[in-house]
Amino acid sequence: MELNILTLEDRYAKFEIKGITPAIANALRRTLINDIPKLAIHKVIFHHGQIRDMQGKVYDSSTPLFDEIIAHRLGLIPLPTDLNMNFREDCDHPPDEGCPMCTVTYTLNKHGPATVYSGDLIPVGDEKFRPVDPLIPIVKLKDTQAILLEAEAILGTAKQHAKWQVTSGVAYKYHREIEVDKEESDLWEKVKEACPDAVVYEDSKKIIFTDDVECKLLAELISFENPVIREDDTWFVFQFETDGSLTAKDVLKYAITRLKNRFSHLRESASLG
Amino acid sequence: MMVPVRCFSCGRPIASEYNAFISRINLIRETENREPTTEEIQKIFDDLGIKRYCCRRMILSHVELIDDVMPFD
Repeated sequence: MELNILTLEDRYAKFEIKGITPAIANALRRTLINDIPKLAIHKVIFHHGQIRDMQGKVYDSSTPLFDEIIAHRLGLIPLPTDLNMNFREDCDHPPDEGCPMCTVTYTLNKHGPATVYSGDLIPVGDEKFRPVDPLIPIVKLKDTQAILLEAEAILGTAKQHAKWQVTSGVAYKYHREIEVDKEESDLWEKVKEACPDAVVYEDSKKIIFTDDVECKLLAELISFENPVIREDDTWFVFQFETDGSLTAKDVLKYAITRLKNRFSHLRESASLG
Repeated sequence: MMVPVRCFSCGRPIASEYNAFISRINLIRETENREPTTEEIQKIFDDLGIKRYCCRRMILSHVELIDDVMPFD
């Protein structure tokens, strides 16, 4: 098995793996989608009644959106995640309590007229837990309204709820080679010029392209001419995006370790039986 | 009401890009006094890094109703 990183950005990764079966590729895809832990707000306590500001002005705790909707929107905000934290059920205390190892507490206090953004969420304690994206709008407030709440974020995986989903657009495809006969094709020279990275092999009679690299002209060639297309079902090109709570590198590392542990657990269990 | 925080289909956060998108659209409307062309809208999405059409439709089809609702609560 061989893994090559093709593109690695903070929130995006593209890589290829050679020498695996489709079953393994799909296992990795599904791990990337729903088995990566991340922090998300799970419990919100709203202050109901009058809210006073520093000058003593009285605000009303009502907002244009229902509390449930605000709580839901808060849950979906990506929060920076420390993978050394525990799942709440792995902590020693009762499951309805929290400790610094499994819980991050946030407060939000804002009075109108204003738009409340994710950046207004203040972590109690470590500053590193400030939301990754400070510009997600949560709710709008009129000049007589204010919002005061406390929120608890815990680790979870996307198996339980989409708010714990780190990755989006996780996909893989086979490595494909497109063999073009130079005499039969009119487009190959243009494709070669536009996407020199896509050329795998060339001699006087034929040229072979790959669509692992994005190339609009090559797609045109495939649909208008009739090249020989060969797919390799042991060579996979993966890509995925993250929401910023973890970097693409951390996600990939965690997914591979997680998959390895699950397979070794399976192997042990099978040999015991 | 308010723009959804994440794309319904793939889960990518899109709410913060909504305002950026609207201000770019309004810039074209104000400076050139016309509606943006499809190519320009496509360019804005590419610049914002919104690649998939599921995320693009979240922003294109959204109607911000919160200002109309606010007087009635």
